[in-house]
Amino acid sequence: MPGKSYQNSIILFALCLFFLLATGCEEQQNSKTNNVPGKTHTEKLKLGLITEQDIFSQKKRYEPLAAYLSRKIDATIELSILSRYGNIIDNFVANGLDAAFFGSFTGALAIRKLEVLPLARPEYLDGTSTYYGMIFVRKDSGIHNAADMRGKRFAFVDKATTAGWLLPMHYFAENGIEDYYTYFSETYFTGTHEDAIYDVLNGKADIGAAKNTVFSRLAQTDSKVQEQLQILATSPVVPANALAVRKDLGESLKLKLKNALLQMDQDVEGRQVLHEFGARRFIPTTDNDYAPVFDYAYKIGLDLTTYDYNNE
Amino acid sequence: MKKKVFIALLILVFCFSGGGMYIARSIEEVITNLENVITLHQVEFLRKDLQNKIKVVQTDLLLKDSPHALHIDPFIAHVEEMEKASHVCSNCHDDDDDEVRQRLDHFQQKIDSYVKMLSRVYTIRANAERLTEERNAAFSLGEETLAEVEKIVITSSEKISKRITRARNSIAETEHLLFFLITAGPLLLILIAYFFLKQFTSSVDALLDATRKIQQGNLRYRVQEELPDEFQVLASAFNDMASSLKDQCMRMQQTERLAVVGELAAGLAHEVKNPLAGIKVSIEVLANELTLEQEDREVFLRIINEIYRIETLLKSLLSYARPPEPETVLLDLHQLLDTTIKSASYSLINPTNTAKMIKEIEIVKDFSPELPPIIADHAQIQQVFLNLMLNAIDAIPTKGTITITTRKESNHIVQICITDTGKGMSPENMNKIFNPFFTTKPKGTGLGLAICKRLIELHHGTIHVSSTPGEGTTFYITIPEKQQIQGITQ
Repeated sequence: MPGKSYQNSIILFALCLFFLLATGCEEQQNSKTNNVPGKTHTEKLKLGLITEQDIFSQKKRYEPLAAYLSRKIDATIELSILSRYGNIIDNFVANGLDAAFFGSFTGALAIRKLEVLPLARPEYLDGTSTYYGMIFVRKDSGIHNAADMRGKRFAFVDKATTAGWLLPMHYFAENGIEDYYTYFSETYFTGTHEDAIYDVLNGKADIGAAKNTVFSRLAQTDSKVQEQLQILATSPVVPANALAVRKDLGESLKLKLKNALLQMDQDVEGRQVLHEFGARRFIPTTDNDYAPVFDYAYKIGLDLTTYDYNNE
Repeated sequence: MKKKVFIALLILVFCFSGGGMYIARSIEEVITNLENVITLHQVEFLRKDLQNKIKVVQTDLLLKDSPHALHIDPFIAHVEEMEKASHVCSNCHDDDDDEVRQRLDHFQQKIDSYVKMLSRVYTIRANAERLTEERNAAFSLGEETLAEVEKIVITSSEKISKRITRARNSIAETEHLLFFLITAGPLLLILIAYFFLKQFTSSVDALLDATRKIQQGNLRYRVQEELPDEFQVLASAFNDMASSLKDQCMRMQQTERLAVVGELAAGLAHEVKNPLAGIKVSIEVLANELTLEQEDREVFLRIINEIYRIETLLKSLLSYARPPEPETVLLDLHQLLDTTIKSASYSLINPTNTAKMIKEIEIVKDFSPELPPIIADHAQIQQVFLNLMLNAIDAIPTKGTITITTRKESNHIVQICITDTGKGMSPENMNKIFNPFFTTKPKGTGLGLAICKRLIELHHGTIHVSSTPGEGTTFYITIPEKQQIQGITQ
């Protein structure tokens, strides 16, 4: 019957349409699921960060890297930023951190105190994988040497930093400043390298100490940094902030993490993340790379195993 | 009418598509307006949300270093939420003018500074005075930011309120227009439909009325009204048909009258024939036996001649009214035509001088060699040919040509044409020549061609004539090869 075949055709057409739509929806849903950035993984990795710059900027800087590594090692990486450099040592165990991007000094402390294993550190866009500390003043401050510093205000970064603490301590020792508490009218810890630089630039402090990488980064966006600040002393070069993991982290995860970092520059997505991070690639890092820090600490008479890094 | 229907169709299509498009556009506009209203409410909500989030961060700042202070992670989360809320606000105004953009950029810079100061408060380690100073600076900036948001909320609330009113008015306008379209659209369609239906039905009614009048026998009735478009053409055709019908009726009536007269004449002839034969014999006997003067004898001979004429007329009448059934045989038409031509040629011999002809006529034979023999009545067909040839001879005044053509037509029909170059006929006469008793000859009976037609029709054939005055006349005869008589094919 023509009527019946017509009805059958309509039903068939409706079924095809439904099938196509359902398939389309399913595919769309699948594609959506695959694109979810915060995909849950079976393993979790808690990663600590120190405050090179303000808490929020630092966290934002590491978020794309954490997301990339999560996808590569198939583990959820959770970032935990600490308000102080020294906290990272205290909280590494207390907060159950699995890994952290340690500064050179905190890295050396962690190797000694926590026996963490450094895996990799960034090689910056200019090809260096190290940094050094700087003591600086405003050009118009009239401060040219240690003698001029008497009675001035000194802005350190943290007692657990090479640039923001070890360098000034070494400078003081070299220039006969035995008790900086009495030598300066005020000393304090800004907590971040960025704040130490800006405090001197803005006249909140007379002398400051910070790392050259942060100084260069700020100078690129703010010409006053280069124009109005004068560098009085620098430290030897030390390894850049490296990723180190707790000693008992699973070998497989450790290897995956190391490989993911070292092979980042070999894929497009990795290169994009590296570029945003401000690095060219990650290079392997071992305890030996921290030798300059140990030497530097030794020179100023610090015993890292007993060193109290808490700011006064 | 076609043009009007086309225009009406176009108007309908235009109305539907235009109305549809307008409705779609109106719906889209209403949706956009509603979306705008929702967006504006959303904007209001987002600004309030930003205000609340700044207040939460300010509270965290106040509680710092107190026993109720939060751990750094919730504080970071609060600040990030505040930043996100401020970015949402900024992104919403991407398309706004420069003044608004500048104001928002300034506001965003303030938020960024506030965030840096908050971070500083949490990271700095210094003496109590510096710490208090930093905290107070951050708190003051937070309050300034909050005040700015409040200012923006108040300013924008007025703008939002105006925009919402505008959007509502626009929705109301669209609603009214849609209502108008929904009401007026069908009314317009009904009006157009009524106009066309009225034109159509009034024309059809006029034609129907005329048809009824004709049906009732009023053949003089004509459609007088001016009808629109194709209906006028139809009315003209109807009037022509009525005129033609009237002519046909008159012709039929005349034919019937003639047939009746013919029947009467034939009946009368039959009754007159026998007494006339008696009279003729008696007169002949008297003329032979009586001793008469020469003058008296001539009177008797004139009477006998007139009786012969009456007999001939009577025979013709009988042939027309009651022709005998055809006695069909296989005929060679060419042979029959040759015989007939010979017979007709005798009429050209001068009675006073047999060596001379009374007219100089050339007879041309254009016979088709493919002409098949036909089955027909020999005498009747010869009578037809002879009649037509004698007429042709009569039509030629002194000199001329008679052409006899034969050919085979399709479907087993043969055609014979007899053409003379005589004086020809007027169209009026041409229409009447097959009517009985119509003649243009002074001594003619007017039955010759009527009998020809009758005999050809008895053979299921046709006879037609074409003539041009002064040039000549042609008779066209068609006869089937075989005859169907009383259901038997011969």
